[in-house]
Amino acid sequence: MSSPVARRIDPVEMMPVDRHARRTRRLLRLLAALILVFLYLPIGFLILFSFETSSTPGLPITGLTLKWYEAMLKDRIIQQALFNSVIVAGVVAVVASLVGTMTAFPLVRARLRFADAARLLFTMPIMIPGVLLGIGLLLVFRRVLDVNLSLVTVIAGHLVFTTPFVVLIVSARLQGFDRRLEWAAADLGASSVHTLRHIILPLISPAIVAGALLSVTLSIDEFVITYFTVGAQPTLPLYIYTSIKLGVTPEVNAVATVILVGTLAAFAVGSLLLSGGRRLRRREAE
Amino acid sequence: MTVQTASAADPAPLAGSTSGARRQVGRLWPLAPGLLLIGLLFLVPMGFMLVFSFLRTDPNFNIVVDPNLNNYARFINIPTYVRTFAKTLVMAGVVTTLGLALAMPFAYFLVRYVSRRWQRIILLAVVVPFWTSYLLRVYAWQAILGEHGALNQALQGIGLIDKPSALFIYNDVGVAIVLTYLYFPFAALALYAALEKFDFAQFNAAQDLGARPDQAFRHILLPQIRAGIITACIFVFIPILGEFLTPALVGGAQGSLIANLIVNFFRGAQYAEGSALAIVIAIFVTAVLIVFRRYLRVEDVVARG
Amino acid sequence: MADLTREFDRRQFLKAAGLAGAAVGLGGIAAACATPAASVAPPASTSAGASAGASAAASAVAAASNPTGTFNWMTWVDHYYPEQLSAIASSIGINVNLTELADNSDGYTKLKEVGGQLDMIAGDALWVPHYFEAGLIEAWDINSLEVSKQLYSIARSFEIWTKPEGYLGYPNGWSPVQIYYDPAKVSPAPDSWEVLLDPKYVKKVVVENQPVEIMAYMGKAAGVKDPYNMTPDEISKAKDLAIKLKPNLLKFAQQNTDTIAALISGEAWIATGNLGTETRVKQAGGPELKVFTPKEGTIGWMDAEMIVKGGANEPLIRPFLQAAEQAEYVAANFMINQRPLFNEKAYKLLINQGQKDLADRFLYNKPETVLTMTLKGPGTSTQGAIDAFNEVFGA
Repeated sequence: MSSPVARRIDPVEMMPVDRHARRTRRLLRLLAALILVFLYLPIGFLILFSFETSSTPGLPITGLTLKWYEAMLKDRIIQQALFNSVIVAGVVAVVASLVGTMTAFPLVRARLRFADAARLLFTMPIMIPGVLLGIGLLLVFRRVLDVNLSLVTVIAGHLVFTTPFVVLIVSARLQGFDRRLEWAAADLGASSVHTLRHIILPLISPAIVAGALLSVTLSIDEFVITYFTVGAQPTLPLYIYTSIKLGVTPEVNAVATVILVGTLAAFAVGSLLLSGGRRLRRREAE
Repeated sequence: MTVQTASAADPAPLAGSTSGARRQVGRLWPLAPGLLLIGLLFLVPMGFMLVFSFLRTDPNFNIVVDPNLNNYARFINIPTYVRTFAKTLVMAGVVTTLGLALAMPFAYFLVRYVSRRWQRIILLAVVVPFWTSYLLRVYAWQAILGEHGALNQALQGIGLIDKPSALFIYNDVGVAIVLTYLYFPFAALALYAALEKFDFAQFNAAQDLGARPDQAFRHILLPQIRAGIITACIFVFIPILGEFLTPALVGGAQGSLIANLIVNFFRGAQYAEGSALAIVIAIFVTAVLIVFRRYLRVEDVVARG
Repeated sequence: MADLTREFDRRQFLKAAGLAGAAVGLGGIAAACATPAASVAPPASTSAGASAGASAAASAVAAASNPTGTFNWMTWVDHYYPEQLSAIASSIGINVNLTELADNSDGYTKLKEVGGQLDMIAGDALWVPHYFEAGLIEAWDINSLEVSKQLYSIARSFEIWTKPEGYLGYPNGWSPVQIYYDPAKVSPAPDSWEVLLDPKYVKKVVVENQPVEIMAYMGKAAGVKDPYNMTPDEISKAKDLAIKLKPNLLKFAQQNTDTIAALISGEAWIATGNLGTETRVKQAGGPELKVFTPKEGTIGWMDAEMIVKGGANEPLIRPFLQAAEQAEYVAANFMINQRPLFNEKAYKLLINQGQKDLADRFLYNKPETVLTMTLKGPGTSTQGAIDAFNEVFGA
């Protein structure tokens, strides 16, 4: 895991290399490996159970089969639930990144008198237990706004806790942002729209992307708030919950496995594209 | 997500920037959608819960407007609720300690002994478990910790125990293990962010000057990553106060936390009573956040490009 | 507890669908034109081109007389199976948006909030009149549905579901809660709720994760007559028993399979459950269990589908029930979910399929048993029961 790296950034260079240090390093490596095992053990079992022959996922494994994947492909209800989840996560990611980014600008730059209070306000939705938020939202939708529950209300519910994450991440980026670049652009006669488009957005876009990805991650697996705000169209976690209550079959594990692999692939492709783009920009800069 | 520690202040105000109300409005309007969203979908619902908490549910499951403090009196008068809340705080404390005890050497190892490239890959690996269903992950733990589960089989296999132990699940131990598992990534990311900024040359210099590693750790490293440690604590400790699924699935009859008792009310459609207990938790959480508000900042996750 | 009985066992399902398919295939020639929906075989047999043709023909017939569209249904997951819904959709053009029901009180409070956004909802026993009294559901003439003739007559005339305005729901199934135990480990043979509290069985008991129901069991054990409407004094008696129950509990089962898994592995020796738990444990290779109905009496549920008042897609409900409640589907459903149902014709189908023993073991032939149970329902002591439960099971 400690492959050789470029000289100037290799922290290993800076440590006193003696027997003691090497032992520490070996110990730490062992611990880190054990922690990764700890993190992946349940996931391994989860995936293993998706191949289990008997209809109750669990030990002992009675045999291996692909039938749950087949069943999943034929199951209209589970597909619809997955589709609903994807729609919700997609819209949530877009709206949360947009609203969150807009919010981050004045929060960081306007030198608000109540900056701490504002930050607190935008952190609380992350921290308040979901049960509380879910029930409160149900009441607001029905008694204040009088809207029908649907995927729209689910999306609204998810925005409450995803937008704050985008705000936090983009704010952090803006704080580390070298404003001289902006001033230089302005000095050179760029309009503010122009500066926004060509200077600011490219620089903060990785943070926006990170916020959007986090929003997707949180939205796709959100259960408690969804439970209270959902109308007649269930999302995947809701489907999983009811099927767990009513007797889970490995089909649900199969779906989770497919999602895990799918997201990993998406992230791999995404990060390749991102790093490719970055390299390109860097080359242009040089 | 990387959570963070210290914060760069906003760069000094631009010399010669025009001030005045119009300018201020111009700068503040982008706050509108965010404030509207948080106001309507967060503050209003919370307000509703607060109002409900002073009402009562009749035997027909209707909320009756009959302002009273009985729901709060319940929390004080029936010792169970205070005791369970205290137990929840202890559980959150234990899990936070365990999480940090694991995350500290883990993050230290990443920062000091692992190349940048691998650091990122390993950090990604720490986050990946979030992409699978929370419920299914907790269910998988049942298969690991149960009397006939993988852990017991492994321990028997290597001869450490001779008959299956029922100590790992359906009690507080099971809850602590699974919660540590669920919240470790938060602690790891927060500590990584803090350690990553630390200049280890200082650490080495101290040792060159004769400090023992533990002294260097305590007097040089620890003070500088204190903020990161606090952030890690907040992001682990607070969400646990609202955990009810994990205790329900692996806590058995002995492992209930405060949120389980609250959920029992909501499941029985006793909204007013449940709201009051939930508001007590919300007030506690808010108080903690106010005290530690300086640490609620998220590290620039993409700073290193 | 209805929600805990409903296990979706796919292997059994495939078997059952095959059986039902075969039954329909054979009987299909004779009954070819009984009703349009009845001639639609569950999908196991749709692989045969002939039956696909038949269902296309059926849908042509149906389309002429019935409205088509999609309605919103909140129900227990064992009231349908996916292939049944696809078959109905293709034969009569009615689709379903499903939300799964987790709890009676949940369903009730949700319907109160969303009203006519749902068109049909399932509920247990005394919850059904409770929905009606809150003005949430329609009373209607069940006999106007042709398919209702397939029901046991007793199921069309339950007193609790009869109002001057009509009948309150379309009856589905029922079960009493019983106690299961492993005779190799539990002796002498118990006959009372007391066995759950016996200090000999520390961490050997599993019950469902339902606070109000657990307190109702304890009420029954304490000799309370109406365990959903307990007086404070009765609640405190029930609570004293719950204190004794706590050390005996291995866990709260989130689902019926949780209970079954614990019995199979031998982690639990005693469990409460619906009819048929012993059969399932044995089928899965577990020990031979015994079962009894506690002498103090037990609690049971019977459930029905209710038509929501002001539902936006109300015209679709009756044609849907007419198609979905056909004996062929109900028999297949029995084979999947295994608990007694109210469709008598489906019972006869099961006999023809050689499943009489199985069906009788589940008391499918004795719907009148329902009248002897304390029925599940909303009560005035919900809050007190939750408080007592929390006091016992909190820290």
